[in-house]
Amino acid sequence: MNLGIRAVLHTARKWKKTLLVFCLLLAITTLVLSGLAIADAQEEQAEEVRGTTGASFTVERNLSTGGWANDSDGTYSTQELITKDMIQKIASVEGITGYDASNGGVPTLYDEEGNNLSLSPDGFAYYAYGAYNSEFNSLFVSGRFELVEGSHITEDVTDGVILSRESVEKNGLKIGDKITGIINPEYNDPEVEMELIGVFDIVADKDDTINMYDASTYWDYNQYAFCSNSVMEALAVNYSDDGIERGFFYVEDAAQLDNVIKNVQHIDSINWDNFIITANDEVYQNISSALSDTGTLITTLIVVITAVSMVLIILILSMSIRSRKRETGILLAVGIAKPAVILQYVLETLLIAVVAFPLAYLSSKQVAGALGTLFGKAAENVIVTPEHFMLVAIVGGILLVAAVLVSSISTLRLKPKQILSQME
Amino acid sequence: MSIMEIKQVGYSYDNKKKVLKGVNAEMEQGKLYAILGPSGCGKTTLLSLIGGLDSPGSGQIYFDGQDIAKTGLSDHRKNHVAFIFQAYNLIDYLTPAENVSLTSKLPPLPILERLGLTKEEAKRNVLKLSGGQQQRVAIARALASEAPVILADEPTGNLDEDTAQDITEILKESAHKINKCVVVVTHSNELAKQADVVFRLKKGELQVLERVQDGAAQPQSRRNNTPRSERRAK
Repeated sequence: MNLGIRAVLHTARKWKKTLLVFCLLLAITTLVLSGLAIADAQEEQAEEVRGTTGASFTVERNLSTGGWANDSDGTYSTQELITKDMIQKIASVEGITGYDASNGGVPTLYDEEGNNLSLSPDGFAYYAYGAYNSEFNSLFVSGRFELVEGSHITEDVTDGVILSRESVEKNGLKIGDKITGIINPEYNDPEVEMELIGVFDIVADKDDTINMYDASTYWDYNQYAFCSNSVMEALAVNYSDDGIERGFFYVEDAAQLDNVIKNVQHIDSINWDNFIITANDEVYQNISSALSDTGTLITTLIVVITAVSMVLIILILSMSIRSRKRETGILLAVGIAKPAVILQYVLETLLIAVVAFPLAYLSSKQVAGALGTLFGKAAENVIVTPEHFMLVAIVGGILLVAAVLVSSISTLRLKPKQILSQME
Repeated sequence: MSIMEIKQVGYSYDNKKKVLKGVNAEMEQGKLYAILGPSGCGKTTLLSLIGGLDSPGSGQIYFDGQDIAKTGLSDHRKNHVAFIFQAYNLIDYLTPAENVSLTSKLPPLPILERLGLTKEEAKRNVLKLSGGQQQRVAIARALASEAPVILADEPTGNLDEDTAQDITEILKESAHKINKCVVVVTHSNELAKQADVVFRLKKGELQVLERVQDGAAQPQSRRNNTPRSERRAK
């Protein structure tokens, strides 16, 4: 009688043991398959977040390594400015999907009737960015600002301006209104006309004043403006150093931000001692941290379930094989070789697995969704795939074989006489 | 010509208690051998060594002139010897017929029927048979294996007198009619009386007992206990 027939007969006739191992394998495999499906749903969600959140980095002059000079207007930095060529080189690095570059200026703005647009009675000036693509400005990318009306400034828009909702409402402006800006009338600075093309709002609790101004400039965010770069160049024609103060670069896959920054720092033609790169990925980091915690929890659960299950399986198989010591001794005594005895035990376990694994695949399709909701996943997003099944079937099969081998070691190390005499 | 030859076999438990001290013996096909001796004297150990269930601490065991340690104990168990145990040692999830098929490709029913089991009994779970029937299944398994040597450890120890007598007859027939070399470890003088050669294992040494007219046996001279190969060498 060959070992295959013996394995089948044992599996069928010792049905209580078979049922126990079958139920255990079914439960474990269902849980592991569900866990893998949840982990995949988690990964998909993380990728989605990376894609939708994005991140950016800012390149600006490093004032601490540059020199300083004085003139009648005061002290100013002599650090080199960013050139358009540098911006283009940085923007061409793989992974960067958008950019903005800007010069700051503080123009006073007027409406079509010549009224000073201001939020305060003393006619305070605006802090304006001359932008190429305002949507990629770190204030928008970080989510601090949100465009609520109109459109962003792009490279095609040569005379546009975006103002805050409060500024627009307080001054009775609407999209399409003409606005005039001037930096300093006393120095014969030119008046530059622009058109209101968009309105932004500050995404924050507006009663919490700490959210409403820039901590480095103390400038009220409501008095920020984004105008076309050409407008800023025209406004600052008397002050122009023919350079750009800041560049904002948008990276679609936020998880790749660090790699992209490293690649940017490898651009040899830029002297990186003179510039600072700052990552703007707070939103991604916050979401990613939450997702990462859930991901770690899911991974830990899968590992723990698998490990505990394997220990359980090894224990049960160990007990089963120990209870079959007499049989092992008899089989050896009638001349069946040790490898054939082990192979019979392996085959018996695999026979059970062959039935349990496909059933677990079917049951996990029902269970995974329900389990997924416990981890905040939509049930329809938690899908057990054939790839999961193949992975579990192959790895599970290998682990089961290993478990049988481990369980058999203590018995099969003995000589047949020792095994039989232990049973007397 | 001897089929099994035991030469200077020694064995000790855990390298301390020496149970066999240079045991020598020869066994031929067509004969029933009985090994007598007090409990714990090493009879079962000697049988295990002959059957390749364990290896001797010293000395050699030959089957048909070949050292079984060199040809392989598993091969020896598979092809040369068949065991009958006091506790029957049948596989409990197999029927009698399937137990017999463990060692043979021949149809199991004829041999089981020859040993007194019906067709229905041959298909029953072995554990539902009586002790005597289980021992018959164990003997059938041994005979079906076609191994020339049958090693039986207290085969009648658990059986009533009538059944024991039946089993003894079967073993005797196996030796005399089927030309097997049957070696039986026993406490039973009745079984020993039926043996062609009786060995006594005492203090680790094996003596051949001479048969007397009433069937009882008494010690033979030590000279005759020397293995044939050694005698030839001399």
